[in-house]
Amino acid sequence: MRRKRKGIQQGAYEDPLKDYSPPQFEDDLEQALCDTELATVDMKPFDAISPKTKVIDAMKNMAELGIACLMVARDDGKIVGVFTERDVLEKVAEDFEQVKNLPVRVVMTTNPICAYEMDLPAKALNLMATGGFRHIPILDADDHIVGILGPRRVTRFLQTYFTN
Amino acid sequence: MGLRENILSDPISTLELRELLAIEPDQTVRSAVELMREKKLGCVVVIDQNGRPLGKFTEHHLLKLLVSNPKGLDCLIKDEMTAVWAQVNLTDPISKALDAMQEKGLRFVVVIDEQGKAVGLTGQKGMMEYIADHFPRQVKVQMMESKLYMDQREGA
Repeated sequence: MRRKRKGIQQGAYEDPLKDYSPPQFEDDLEQALCDTELATVDMKPFDAISPKTKVIDAMKNMAELGIACLMVARDDGKIVGVFTERDVLEKVAEDFEQVKNLPVRVVMTTNPICAYEMDLPAKALNLMATGGFRHIPILDADDHIVGILGPRRVTRFLQTYFTN
Repeated sequence: MGLRENILSDPISTLELRELLAIEPDQTVRSAVELMREKKLGCVVVIDQNGRPLGKFTEHHLLKLLVSNPKGLDCLIKDEMTAVWAQVNLTDPISKALDAMQEKGLRFVVVIDEQGKAVGLTGQKGMMEYIADHFPRQVKVQMMESKLYMDQREGA
């Protein structure tokens, strides 16, 4: 027996989003965390070095610029690691004479957790507050470095919402 | 209450303070480095005999010291510490720590008790944890690691 196909009755269709209402935010900060992109946060300037750079040169670079983290990237701009003050404390300080002329790839932190510029600021905050990552490299959709977020920049971003 | 009101009213003691890594002025930078490595914290506080802070020494000072003096680990901490630090009382509102960090561009703030004795540390990470705790449904649900594209086709 051939069944008769039911046609869509006039007026039976209901818009599933008819009751949709935009999210309500407690305050400006909550909205900034959940309704904007990381690209809106100040994440420049940043500095990147080659994996072949000597440890001592990287350290001089950080001391001169007054920064706590250098990104380590290949020639094509893809990130392979970060070299931070914590790496200096953990892997360099006590063996400084032996380590200072080695390439930075030996002592860097490899495969760092990154975020994308289109991610939410809430993600970067979670990585830092819960994950314990101090510096988060920010990438574009092609995995090229576009900036870096550290605690100072995130605190400054949060601070603007307390003072306003 | 909103976050802004909480920051103005909650005392510092409600924050999860970091352990204070205390060191005496006549100890070497090497012992400070060993302590920081052991406790995985980037700051030691130099204290006097009464436990009052005299200065601090951070990872950043270590970096600059090694660049300028490769034998710097054998120096005395009192010669390498910085006397620039901020301190807040346990009963001060959290906003005071935030303002102190912002004003002096500091990562850490020393927390003291009523007698002026250093009892702990807080800082930028402590603030971020506080804010993440205030917005758990917005912040703590975020994935730690995510890729824009999958490495393989789903089901392939």
